[in-house]
Amino acid sequence: MTVIPQQPTTTAETSGQRHLPPEQRQAIRVRVIRRMGVYALAILISLWIMIPIVLIASMAFSTPSAVRSFPKEIIPDPVSTDTLEFFLNAEGILRSTVNSIIVALTTFVLSTIVATPAGYAISRFVFRGRDAVRLGILSVRAFPIVILAVPLAVTFINLGIYDSVYSLALLHTALVLPTSVLVIASVFASVPYELEEAAQVFGCTPVRAFFSVVMPLTLPGIAAAGVFAFVTSWNEVFAAVLLTLTNRTLPAQILFSLDKSGDPFKFAGGFFMLVPSLIFIFFIRRYLFNMWGQISK
Amino acid sequence: MKSQKWLPYLLILPTTLYLIAFFAYPMISALQLAVRGETRFLTLREEPDDAAERVPGQIALQTVVEVLDRERGEEELPTGRTRPVYWFYVTGETVDGESVTGWVHQRSVFIESRTESTSARVTGGEPVTRWTTEYIERMVNDSRFVPAIRNTFLMIILILPIQFVLAIIMALVLQAQPRGSSLFLYIFAIPLGVSDLAAGLVWYSIFTQRGFINSFLTELGVIDSPFIFISAGREGWILTAIVLAEIWRATSIVMVIVVSGLQAVPRDYIEAGEVFGANLWQRIWHVILPLLRPSLQVALILRTILAFQVFAVVLAISGGDVFTVLANETFRWYDRGDGGYNNPNVAAAYAGLIMLISLGISFFYLRAVRTQEEAAKP
Repeated sequence: MTVIPQQPTTTAETSGQRHLPPEQRQAIRVRVIRRMGVYALAILISLWIMIPIVLIASMAFSTPSAVRSFPKEIIPDPVSTDTLEFFLNAEGILRSTVNSIIVALTTFVLSTIVATPAGYAISRFVFRGRDAVRLGILSVRAFPIVILAVPLAVTFINLGIYDSVYSLALLHTALVLPTSVLVIASVFASVPYELEEAAQVFGCTPVRAFFSVVMPLTLPGIAAAGVFAFVTSWNEVFAAVLLTLTNRTLPAQILFSLDKSGDPFKFAGGFFMLVPSLIFIFFIRRYLFNMWGQISK
Repeated sequence: MKSQKWLPYLLILPTTLYLIAFFAYPMISALQLAVRGETRFLTLREEPDDAAERVPGQIALQTVVEVLDRERGEEELPTGRTRPVYWFYVTGETVDGESVTGWVHQRSVFIESRTESTSARVTGGEPVTRWTTEYIERMVNDSRFVPAIRNTFLMIILILPIQFVLAIIMALVLQAQPRGSSLFLYIFAIPLGVSDLAAGLVWYSIFTQRGFINSFLTELGVIDSPFIFISAGREGWILTAIVLAEIWRATSIVMVIVVSGLQAVPRDYIEAGEVFGANLWQRIWHVILPLLRPSLQVALILRTILAFQVFAVVLAISGGDVFTVLANETFRWYDRGDGGYNNPNVAAAYAGLIMLISLGISFFYLRAVRTQEEAAKP
């Protein structure tokens, strides 16, 4: 067991095997089989995740008549952007995309502004009630938006701020705030307090030490928390259909067009909603466990 | 770590206020909306005049009252002409079961003949906010209430076991760090960013009548004409499509939680198992899973609660009419459009129900795990 190198190449194994005692040869064989098993599983699971995405992408890049045809081909022939163009030119799609971006950006900014001080406090200070605050934030994270949306919609109607993208952003901020606070707290925790102290020793005020030493180091992590907020808001549909009537966001607009639209609209819409998530996840993949793993801490 | 008196509280103040305004308040508000509502009640008058004293006691709408007397008056219309209006002297039963007598204007009652009839039905009154079980009763008596609950629970029971097994396998595969594991991590993580609506549409493209399963089976020659998976009466197939879509979309979040948990498991423990000759299965069952229990518990609570939110997937796959779940009913009762009932109170009753079930299930999981731990103690 102990003499086997961590990742033996195939040639080294076969040439080395002749000189090894049988039980070690057996151990190598088990290891190779296990490694192949891991690969097989990894590839199988990747296919399970990727195939549906490839299928809908192939539909989005087929002509509308190919989308309606039966049986369907997996590889689009000819490749065409007509279906996507048809979707983008459909009534309300462009406007609702702009609305979605406004809501998501507002959520991004608002949640970062509100969550950063709290994250800093939780990671840097010992204070009475710190654990209670952490626990409170965590338990709030688990509560579904379905519960919040109905009463807030009624409240917003009474306040006269119903059907506004900014009201929706207020609710989305509430939705992402707990996670943002915990992620930002873990980002600050990764910068040693000694750095801040050193800056102060060299004559910085605490505020200046924060902005010129801590901020540059934590900015990527805080931005990742912001991207998480953006994605959550971009994807959220339940509150969006409840809180807006004429100023729909993209998911709300698609949801309301479902029963009067054909397959080309639905497939292109599904693909169009999917693309940003592929990009976002790529950019924040380093922070994934920070972000979604937070909940288990 | 610093220690200061007021600064940390100042820093967490915005978050705290925000969460009170947008979490604590709406939750209380949801429960309140479900059991308090505006109902109209008729209050009779001492004299045939709107400005006259009210007779104590409220009469519910639709109550039939006896007409004892009537008085004809004149009312001026905006055009300058006048028209006859009647006040009726009536007696009827209040909501408290008492009998009251007084005057009522013709606008608040339905009467066959203003000059002849001896009875009238109350049709109008003043809005009064009061405690009521009306909304909860409407929710429970709705024909879609039982299917919504049944489907939601069926969905959870079918999704969770598969999802957890798959998530643990995914986490163990990543833990084994095969070459290219960063690519695998990215692929495994993609569904984290996929919305439920997009996932629903993706799986709709697979299961719809002219979708990929039917195309595939036709080209293989298994079937001659497309099989219709999604239609009324084929709830099993609709459920299958929804369950697959949810497993596809939401297993990654469980995986991330499990990976975070695995990272906290000391490698020595797993190696110790190896040294003592435990096979892979034994190591997973006796070493890894028990150590993962806290993570799995959190993931279980989170996934169960989130499963009550499943909404857009159902709408994208089934259209929401032939198959329904609790979140869909909440939406339908709230919806102010053509398909909805525009009744926020019944919607709030659904929201309250989802909240209570979520809380109940969380407590159940926490208790079940604690009892197990206590039982395990010597």
